Amino acid sequence: MENLGIDGKLLLAQMINFVLFFFLVKKFIVKPFTTFLNQERTNEEEKNKLLEKLKKSEEAGIEAEKKMKEKMKKEFDVLFVEAKKEASIMRTDLIKQAEVDALEIKDKNNKLLEEEKNLLYREVKDKIIKTSLMIVENTLKDALDEASRKKVTGAIIKNYQGKVNFNEN
Amino acid sequence: MKINPKLKQDLKSFLMENIQKEQNRVLVSSADILGSDEKKALSGKKFPDLNWEDAEYRIDKSIIAGVIIKVGSKTIDLSLTGSLSKLSNTLYEID
Repeated sequence: MENLGIDGKLLLAQMINFVLFFFLVKKFIVKPFTTFLNQERTNEEEKNKLLEKLKKSEEAGIEAEKKMKEKMKKEFDVLFVEAKKEASIMRTDLIKQAEVDALEIKDKNNKLLEEEKNLLYREVKDKIIKTSLMIVENTLKDALDEASRKKVTGAIIKNYQGKVNFNEN
Repeated sequence: MKINPKLKQDLKSFLMENIQKEQNRVLVSSADILGSDEKKALSGKKFPDLNWEDAEYRIDKSIIAGVIIKVGSKTIDLSLTGSLSKLSNTLYEID
C-alpha cells in the first residue's frame, strides 16, 4: 500500500473523517433541512388548499350574490308590477273622486246660480212693480181732478157687489 | 183699598158701552167730501146694517179716489190705492 503511495492511517483517518462528516451532515444538516423542506411542502400544500377553499368560497359567495341579485330583481319586478297596478287603481279612484267632486261643485254652482237668478228676478220684479205702481199712482193723482175723483168714487160705490157681515165680532 | 161694588159696576157698564159704541162706529175716509147720493148709496143699498147715524167722514187725499169704510176693527177698502195695493199683491203672487 505504501508502494502505491497510499497511507493506510491517513486513509483510515480520512475514512473516519468522512464517516464522521457524513454522520454529522446527515444528523445536523440533512435531517433538519429535509424536515424543513417537508414542512415547507406541507405548508405550501395547506396554503394551496386554503387558497383553493378560499377561491371556492369566493366563487360560492359570488354565486350566492348573483342568485340574491336575481332574486332581488325578481322581487323588485313583482313589487314594481304590483306598485304599478296599485298606482293605476289609485289613479282611477282619484279620477273618479275628482269627477264626483267636480259634479258636486258643478251642481252646487248651478244651484247657487239658480238661487242668484231667482233673487235677481225677485228684486227686478219688486222694482218693476213698485215703479209701475208709483207711476200709476202719481199719474192718477195728477190726472184726476175733483170731478173725476167723485165720478170714480161714485162708480166704485155703485159697482161694489160685496157683502160684509159686520156683526161677526 | 176696597173699591165700591156699585162704582165698579158703573165703571164696567160705562166701559162696555164705550167699547160697544167704538165697535159699531163707522168711519168713512174719502179723497173728497162725499155727496148725499154717495152717502145714500152707502147707507141704503150697500151697507144697510151699519150704524150710519153716528158715522164720521174724513178726507184723506192719499187714497186718490173711492172710499175706505172702517167699522170697529174691520175695514172695507174701496179706494184706488187699495185696488193698486191688491194689484201689486197679485203681481207678486204671479211667478
